[in-house]
Amino acid sequence: MEKRESLWEAYLRRGLSRRSFIKGCVALTSLMGLSTDMVSKVVEAAEKKPLPVVIWLHGHECTGCDEAFIRSASPLASDLVLSSIALEYDHLLSAACGEPFERHLEETIKKYWGNYILAVEGAVSTTDNGVYCMSGGKPFVDTFQRVAKGAMAIIAYGTCAVSGGIQGAKPNPTGSSGVGHYTGTKPIVNVPGCPPIPEVMTGVVMHVALFGKLPPLDSENRPKQFFGNRIHDTCYRRPFFDAGMFADRYDDAGAKAGWCLYRLGCRGPETYASCGNLRWYQGMSYPIQSGAACIGCANSNFWDSGASFSERLPKYGPLGDVDTIGAGLAIASTAGVALHGAMSVIQKQKRAAEEAEAEGGAHK
Amino acid sequence: MKHVTIDPVTRIEGHLRVEMTVDEGSGKVTDALSSGTAWRGLELIMNGRDPRDAWAYIQRICGVCTTAHALASVRAVEDALGIKIPKNANYIRNIMAASLTVQDHIVHFYHLHALDWVSPVEALKADPAATANLQNTVLNAYQLPFRAPNTSDTEAYPKAFPEATPAYFKAIKDKVQAIVQSGQLGIFAAQWWDHPDYQLLPPEVHLMAVAHYLEMLDKQRELVTPHVVFGGKNPHPHYIVGGMPCSISLEDGNAPVNTARLAIVDRAINLARTLSNTFYLPDLLAIGHLYVQKGMTDGGGLAKTRVLGFGAYPMDAYSGTANGDFFRQCLIRCNGVVENFGAGAAQAKFTPLTAEDLSNPEAFNEGVAHAWYEYPGAKADKALHPWDGVTEAKFTAPKVGTPTDWKELDEKSKYSWLKTPKWHGKLCEVGPLARYIIIYTRAQQGMLPDPTWAEKMMIDQIDAVSKVLNLPPHVWLPTMVGRTAARALDAQLNAEIAKFFFDQLIANLKAGDTQVANMAKWEPSEWPKMAKGVGLYEAPRGALSHWVNIESGSITNYQCIVPTTWNACPRDDKAGHGAYEAAMMDTRVKVPDKPLEIAKVVRSFDPCMACATHIYNPEGEKLRVVTTDPYTGTRVES
Repeated sequence: MEKRESLWEAYLRRGLSRRSFIKGCVALTSLMGLSTDMVSKVVEAAEKKPLPVVIWLHGHECTGCDEAFIRSASPLASDLVLSSIALEYDHLLSAACGEPFERHLEETIKKYWGNYILAVEGAVSTTDNGVYCMSGGKPFVDTFQRVAKGAMAIIAYGTCAVSGGIQGAKPNPTGSSGVGHYTGTKPIVNVPGCPPIPEVMTGVVMHVALFGKLPPLDSENRPKQFFGNRIHDTCYRRPFFDAGMFADRYDDAGAKAGWCLYRLGCRGPETYASCGNLRWYQGMSYPIQSGAACIGCANSNFWDSGASFSERLPKYGPLGDVDTIGAGLAIASTAGVALHGAMSVIQKQKRAAEEAEAEGGAHK
Repeated sequence: MKHVTIDPVTRIEGHLRVEMTVDEGSGKVTDALSSGTAWRGLELIMNGRDPRDAWAYIQRICGVCTTAHALASVRAVEDALGIKIPKNANYIRNIMAASLTVQDHIVHFYHLHALDWVSPVEALKADPAATANLQNTVLNAYQLPFRAPNTSDTEAYPKAFPEATPAYFKAIKDKVQAIVQSGQLGIFAAQWWDHPDYQLLPPEVHLMAVAHYLEMLDKQRELVTPHVVFGGKNPHPHYIVGGMPCSISLEDGNAPVNTARLAIVDRAINLARTLSNTFYLPDLLAIGHLYVQKGMTDGGGLAKTRVLGFGAYPMDAYSGTANGDFFRQCLIRCNGVVENFGAGAAQAKFTPLTAEDLSNPEAFNEGVAHAWYEYPGAKADKALHPWDGVTEAKFTAPKVGTPTDWKELDEKSKYSWLKTPKWHGKLCEVGPLARYIIIYTRAQQGMLPDPTWAEKMMIDQIDAVSKVLNLPPHVWLPTMVGRTAARALDAQLNAEIAKFFFDQLIANLKAGDTQVANMAKWEPSEWPKMAKGVGLYEAPRGALSHWVNIESGSITNYQCIVPTTWNACPRDDKAGHGAYEAAMMDTRVKVPDKPLEIAKVVRSFDPCMACATHIYNPEGEKLRVVTTDPYTGTRVES
């Protein structure tokens, strides 16, 4: 990130003179439709470090991630888009379209080569040379690879970009997959969710803008601060799970009392996301709080888990087959306490293993 | 003649390409082509799935009109399985649908459409003091005082209100100036800011609109908090077949919905009213009035010839759609087709849409002559009813270029991932404009017995705007401006609808009924071996229908006919051009290589391409009327 340079620095690096820099600024002033008395201000701006440049591409997607992004409360979308980053290319918000827009993409790539962030929403489709996802008359997969080459880092927003998403569900008619297969060795930040929580999305960008580097990532390249806990571990309904108090049907007495939704198929126990702690709309709710079983939308291939969403998970997480544990829970709350203990131990072991791995990595 | 392409069309959902042939002398568009350029194959992915999960999968068609496809899906499955949802679930779904409509329309007008009308570059020429005066003038001249009768008023004062001070507008102007001077134009980069259409409005209108662009970007999120309360999140809130997952208890603080949670919903609805009434409608009318005064009444296209609606907002839980009960319960009875509205509401022809039409393969079907699909064997040249629909992709090369490097698509062959939906073999425009044309025509022709409060409000809104513009409805409605204006009227209406159903929900809870789900037929063992159903919903962009076939507990065929498919579809060799193409051909282009007017008229439909492409298988107060130019005297000369 620290490699970001002002226009003046770019001129210096290329060995160009101050005179040609000023000439460039005059040209820029007229290009922007400003009067010539503004030249000095343009020069001043061109000497400053620019905002982090973001190019946002859309593959096979529903634009739900872009919509989630503008639902962010902190930072607000306007503050982020106009004051913290320069969003130079985005099909949803950009003013331009067509040929001048595509030309602007090429110019941005060239101008900020190696220094821009590529945000991508949607899957890559490759069947039949990518003709199922065309933009600007070209396959998305080709554009994506070209833009990825010059990126400083890539942020894969949403389950589609991370692992293929809905269009990648069986039988995957368009050969859709996550973008990670097409990014080479570029650093990638995976932000799964369908869509991810708005503040998780903007949080990743803010981390870059505030600290000048990518956030710490886990082994699946997910930001640790947002994907370090299972929803189950942070769920406010967890005490009901531990006590064996479950809703058995939607809208039954247990559902009205806000008891655990595990038996309605809740995927909270296998899903790493911030729904339980950060929640949606600054703590307002998340599906479980609104009485709906989690469908595990931050998990790769969650559309093809092999069971319908209303089926209780036969297996989850490190516990393996917990069907019997679940059945036991209904009878004896002591089993719940035992399970809680077992879960906590497993979580602690997992953390210890991760820390060991992280330390090992640091010593390499 | 000049061939012009816009690809990608931005500020829309998904991937859209348009091509046109322009007569450089007259600016007339002699031929136009609209192509959905992506296909995700979701129809094929639905096969074999649990119908109770269908809403979750199919909602992912679109994250802009999130909730729309989930709602149509649960309605289709419930229709197939014979499930009647509880009153509260119907009210909650209606509140969510109406909240989405307001939010979606506001995002469309300010963030997807506004930059076709206003420019940050023009805003830099504005005088902040004159802009503050303009804001007051606009508020005085263009507020329409319509409300749903007898609804609750729980707001002490408007929580969001347009700022009208010189200091505020100076701050906005300074910010825009800083962005322009930085050389990092960001989202404002590379647009045709020198296009003559940006000169149609005074600089102060540009600055006011840019300010509201920013205000609405931050406020729109609050409008969908009902989704977060009832469905857990937005985008993509949760539903269940049989009702809603959000159990209600007025005794238990742990319940998903209780008094405190309902207060959040009410506040969002109050905000929807305020934003529609004090920002959206006044801004729209201020800009639209100037456009109409300057003779910009083109871009109507198919709206003048044929529009279609399905009917909206069941007042109470209904027993089914295919049996016609849905139509009987609608708060807005726009179920039908109006032809020839361009000749006047008296001359137009209204044809009602009935339950029989839904299962009639002649009434609703889809063709693929110009779509990259093929129907198998004997069905090859047929148009298929959605319950018998087939999806087989069949990509063919463009006219000029290669399959992976398109120069010109082939209008004589296949050129889009959208099928061509037809009503009795004819093409129709759908959307808020269609809804208003249908209700207005029915009323004018005495075919709207005992109008509901919402239908009355729609007629009053049209009469009020006709007075402001000093034009009859058949002149201003079927135009690019009219299509955009109808959406703003629809936002005002939907804020009232949300309030209406919120009050109904409270009244029902007060009566002691807290049920939100009918679970009697939750288990597949309770289902018929074979079933088919249809779910209808007047989505923000228009008439949406989902069609499902269920066999032995699994989905065997799932199809959607989506508003953007009606509007953006490729041509039909007999029926002619779809709504996008017809509107483009009804629009004059001033500068052929900067076709801003075309981008603007296409965006006036609020394109939602992922919706369109993916799933083919198989008594108001007296109105203050402006009689003088509201812009005179706003600029204070120094």
